[in-house]
Amino acid sequence: MTAKKAKIKQTYKSQTYPKFKTVNGNHPLKAIGDDYSVEYKVRKRHGGKVAAFNFDLAKEIGLIPQGHPNQMNPDLEASILDTFAIIIINEFDQMNNRKFPEEDIKKHTYMATRYLQLQHPTKLGKTSGDGRSIWNGQVKHKGRSWDISSCGTGATRLSPATHTKNKFFESGDPTISYGCGYSEIDEGMAALFFSEILHANNVGTERVLGLIEFEKGYSVNIRVHENLMRPSHIFNHLKQGNYDTLSSLVSHYIDTQEKNKTWSKVPKKETDRLDFFLDRQSEVFAKMAADFEDEYIFCWLDWDGDNILMDGSIIDYGSVRQFGLYHSEYRYDDVERFSTSIIEQKSKARYIVQTFAQIVDYLKSKEKKTIKEFTNDKCLKNFDEKFIQYKDEKILYKVGFSKKHSDFLLKKDLKLVQKFRKAFSYFEMAKSKKGVEKVADGINRSAIFCMRDILRELPQLYLTRNEFITQDEFIEIIKSNYATKKDLEDTAYRKKQLSDFQKYYWELVRKTAKGMRQSESKVLLDVSIRSSIVNKYDRVTGDSITTIVDRLMKKRPKINSEELYEIMKEFTQFQTLDPDQDRSTSSEERRPSKFMTGMFKIVREYREGL
Amino acid sequence: MNLVFYGGGDDNDNSELNSECLKLVNKKSPRITYIPSCSYDSEWHFKKFVDHFQKHKVTQFIHFPIDVPFDKILLSEVLKSDLIHLSGGNTYYFLKHLRKSGMAKLLKEFVKRGGVLTGLSAGGIIMTPIITTASFPAWDRDENEEKIKNHKSLDLVSFEFFPHYVNSRRYDQVLVNYSKKSKRPVYATPDGSGIILKEDEITFFGKNYAFYKGKKFILSQHLT
Repeated sequence: MTAKKAKIKQTYKSQTYPKFKTVNGNHPLKAIGDDYSVEYKVRKRHGGKVAAFNFDLAKEIGLIPQGHPNQMNPDLEASILDTFAIIIINEFDQMNNRKFPEEDIKKHTYMATRYLQLQHPTKLGKTSGDGRSIWNGQVKHKGRSWDISSCGTGATRLSPATHTKNKFFESGDPTISYGCGYSEIDEGMAALFFSEILHANNVGTERVLGLIEFEKGYSVNIRVHENLMRPSHIFNHLKQGNYDTLSSLVSHYIDTQEKNKTWSKVPKKETDRLDFFLDRQSEVFAKMAADFEDEYIFCWLDWDGDNILMDGSIIDYGSVRQFGLYHSEYRYDDVERFSTSIIEQKSKARYIVQTFAQIVDYLKSKEKKTIKEFTNDKCLKNFDEKFIQYKDEKILYKVGFSKKHSDFLLKKDLKLVQKFRKAFSYFEMAKSKKGVEKVADGINRSAIFCMRDILRELPQLYLTRNEFITQDEFIEIIKSNYATKKDLEDTAYRKKQLSDFQKYYWELVRKTAKGMRQSESKVLLDVSIRSSIVNKYDRVTGDSITTIVDRLMKKRPKINSEELYEIMKEFTQFQTLDPDQDRSTSSEERRPSKFMTGMFKIVREYREGL
Repeated sequence: MNLVFYGGGDDNDNSELNSECLKLVNKKSPRITYIPSCSYDSEWHFKKFVDHFQKHKVTQFIHFPIDVPFDKILLSEVLKSDLIHLSGGNTYYFLKHLRKSGMAKLLKEFVKRGGVLTGLSAGGIIMTPIITTASFPAWDRDENEEKIKNHKSLDLVSFEFFPHYVNSRRYDQVLVNYSKKSKRPVYATPDGSGIILKEDEITFFGKNYAFYKGKKFILSQHLT
């Protein structure tokens, strides 16, 4: 033993982590039984090590005490491995009469939940769901609860492979990639970085609690959210006409939202609760669709309600991306089909809300009507109105107006806000004349203008010049690397839009200044400071995350879980673009470490990409 | 030539020195550009910088990172500023990007035209002939991760600048030794203190020290 190790042994005081014991497969939804999930016995999976652990999240959900140092210790690592390094004893194991040591088998069963997935042929959700995941349970802390699930815990009967090949697979079977039930460490790493960044920027998302690495790059990726139910978890029961299960699941969701204080003033009467649920869901999905558009988040939404949680948060980072520009025509190539595009996400979200209306009506009337009968449901009007409202709020946020200024403008001159948004949208939507091109994993017609750049520079230029900038200057600032000479040619319509953009921008500033009794320069200065944060030059994209994770994986043997946590934290802080955050700074600018500098260079290189 | 060197510290430490800077500008509504040493989280530092100067009724600010690509349009406005502030940070990284971006040359021209150039810590060192003082003392030095070999800098003054000076034996030992080798005097400035150069007149704000040919001097001409 080295002197250093001996010292650690001397100073380390044994600790216990009792909360981990409560994560044992039990979950309130188990009570629903086979309709909701397939229950599996699980056993310990040996040979794992903790590759990453999200100390902040573990504290937030009460798994470790608030004052716990962000350091791994033998007891914590043992608790993590004992709780999460598990694998299901699946149908293949049972059919082949495999025996496992009794002490390795956990007491309780764990759920692989059923949900609708469009890639499953029957489209009823009877055979689809968690193909390689199980739910570890639920933790409660300070009056709130969190669901925990793990991905990569073995092949379940709900995977597409089992259904299409009509056989059960051995966990880890190398002949069937996705259906083998394992996940890979790089997937988990990408989800960890991406989800923490989006969370820090107030986008709803699952979060990664930890990654347990096994040989050959396999891993168990532990995910946490207040409620891991997806719309697809209830849509299957609507399709199948399972009234009781549907009712129980909707009730569970409403109850959880209420208990977690996510929703307040929830009515007591059952039918009122359902109406309340529908109202909230249309708002939640309207906000989600607006946020995705405005933050350029690509999340493959479809009628099945998969890839998204009931509260509009992101789950499954496999195909999630954040674009640098508004590449609204990008489509992911999933071999058998192309994905939806960002711009189509809204209609898919709207359709999901329409399905919620169908569910609520069914639960109230006990009579299932067709989805078409809800084409004009008032919840869709609510969705449309809220969508516009969020878009209007968001454009002012992106420009750099504070909440107070934004509220004022929305109240006093909504039309002006919308006129500006229209001009903004013209440039944001502009695409390359080169047309649709093949990209690494799909197709795209490139956006040509970088709106963040103009929003960052314009208030500074107005502040110093106190006049419009020229058309050439505007285009010079806004043009991206995707723009060709042809793309930048002047047209009368573009000139008009350019003029409108500046005219309405100034009007917004003037209106605010007058209404707030401030000088125009004061308003512009506030906008300028906020905008420099919101529209930071370097913003992460999906491609940059993939490249960073590749680089991290190459360096990984030398990086332990604590170092990885620090890297993740620093990187997340660098990418937190919330001007309302109270961030303390030292008197001098910090220069990132050499490794982080490499990461930032990647972010810069891919800043306009997919 | 109008230059201000800040020894270091936060805005509270430098409140009066900031007022002196604005006196140098002598304009009712001056335009100030903030050039961060590194863009990393410079938006937040810029915010603090603005918060402070706003108290002095300044309303025109430009945030101008030079380690990210920038366009000529904003640059032309930067060069019309009344005051340009170079922030603190890693001196080597800062110098590398000032040179790479072409700003080093433009800043010299800005000063020649009568613009006020101010620098805190690394920003101050950058204004001198050479940035060697960033490499010591061993317990508080900048790492030359950029592996810069040419340490020559803007060369706007004939002295070297040592920020964050603490009047103690261990600092003195290092500075005395260095000054024996250096051709120029080294001005050592604690946090909150500064050096003001107005045309050819030099004023020491707060306590300042000089190390020259192996000897230490206390600099007078205090403003406070």
